[in-house]
Amino acid sequence: MDSKQLHGDVRINDVAITFKGKQGPVTALDTTTLRLLPGTFTALIGPSGCGKSTLMNAIGGFVEPSSGAITIDGSAVRGPSEKVGVIFQQYALFPWFTALGNVRFALRRFGLPKAEEMDRARAALSEVGLDQHAGKFPQELSGGMKQRVAIARTLACEPKVLLMDEPFGALDAQTRIGMHELLLKVWERHRATVLFVTHDVDEALLLADDVRVMSHAPGRLIRHYPLSQPRPRAFSRSGSELLDIREEILGLLRPQKALAEVH
Amino acid sequence: MAVTDLRDTRRARTRRGPARIAARTLATSADMGKPMLSFLFVLAIWAAVGALKLVPEAIFPAPWSVWSATVEMWQNGSLPKDLAVSCSRAAIGFTMGASLGVALGLLTGRVPLVRTLLGPFLSLLRPIPAIALVPVAIVWFGIGEGSKYFVISYTVFLAVWFNTHHGMEYVPDIYLRASRSLGASRRREFLTVVIPAAAPYIFAGLRLGVALAFLSLVAAELSGASSGLGYRLQEARQYIRTDRMFSLLIILGALGASVDLIVHLIGRRIVHWQQG
Repeated sequence: MDSKQLHGDVRINDVAITFKGKQGPVTALDTTTLRLLPGTFTALIGPSGCGKSTLMNAIGGFVEPSSGAITIDGSAVRGPSEKVGVIFQQYALFPWFTALGNVRFALRRFGLPKAEEMDRARAALSEVGLDQHAGKFPQELSGGMKQRVAIARTLACEPKVLLMDEPFGALDAQTRIGMHELLLKVWERHRATVLFVTHDVDEALLLADDVRVMSHAPGRLIRHYPLSQPRPRAFSRSGSELLDIREEILGLLRPQKALAEVH
Repeated sequence: MAVTDLRDTRRARTRRGPARIAARTLATSADMGKPMLSFLFVLAIWAAVGALKLVPEAIFPAPWSVWSATVEMWQNGSLPKDLAVSCSRAAIGFTMGASLGVALGLLTGRVPLVRTLLGPFLSLLRPIPAIALVPVAIVWFGIGEGSKYFVISYTVFLAVWFNTHHGMEYVPDIYLRASRSLGASRRREFLTVVIPAAAPYIFAGLRLGVALAFLSLVAAELSGASSGLGYRLQEARQYIRTDRMFSLLIILGALGASVDLIVHLIGRRIVHWQQG
């Protein structure tokens, strides 16, 4: 486990991303520098359209930066790879595979004997509490269960970095709370470097070691809140500091205030 | 018609509780009943027209005349032979066209060079009706089996290619992102992500292809054949045997509908994740 902690060092150096628009280039992400230390949990929060997903897609290798460079453990990101696991809001499970089949898909890269692959896939599902549902197809599972399969699948691939793009955005409040507990539990075991994009300030404050706030488009990082409160956190018992930060971030995210920040 | 009825059956099956079996039985008999009702209705009108002798038999034969013409063709051996010949032509033409269509659709859908070189050309071929190809087919392949296979497989090929090609284009990007970030090679991605994701479209193409195989079969047989259902229709015209014509038309319809149903059922089993 100690050796794992050395991996997943993400450096984003002067990265800017522009897209071609109808009226010339559009800046989706203003020049940004950010380092994610190995094994840390960073939440990225910002108004919609601020470029937080764009930054995430760049780390995932789905989008190429227009300038600057992204490296993971010293090597440049050139397209998607198994080093970076991604959890999508829409789960992205393959509907033609069962829950077990989806996890096995991720294990295939290790070239294991079939029996071992099955065992590991079952173990991964049981870690997220889905051993009873291994044979079910995604469309037979609830939203929360689907996301649990997706987490098991991504972690089975043993990524160094885990990107989560509003992973619980489609779930109801009750299911979300359960997912937060589950996520922290599996993260404690796997210790990948997590970048967690969210709209939800509470979610960011309850989960992350670092909360980064982005401005309105074109996005850039405007605030950084390191959090050291022990987990599991709750606003009721984790001290008034969390509540103060919460108020401050909510203020920053308010349209007028945030616009004033930029100009 | 078959499609809606099967959906009803499925809905009935998902019902829970003690009423489930009863509901299923009812639904199944209703499923069978609805098309039967329609056939009986048309048959009754047809029989009435026949019994009242409103139209001369030679123009519009009564159901019983059509039945006896069917029995006659069966007993003199022409019907079994025509069925066998036509079905084998449709099957061979379909297999050739469908396999080529799927293969090329996977290529034009995935390989940009092949798409650029062939896509627009194949799209241009699509509006040409099968029957318009018959003269060319006869010059190229004579009046033997070759020209029939050509006309049928050509028609099937274009339909299957078009659907496969578009299925490949609609593979959701999120599946590819997931697959690549899970460390799948391009080959594994193609076989276990792209093809299953396109499978519903491929099956839609195959189903259309089956229907087209029967349509173009008749076109192919209308000129230069010495057996087959299409040929027999043409022959019946020369003897003004409308009773035989009706019999052959009904057989063609029933044959096409049954094969369509079979392909639909197979497709639903394979592409089981695609609901409704």
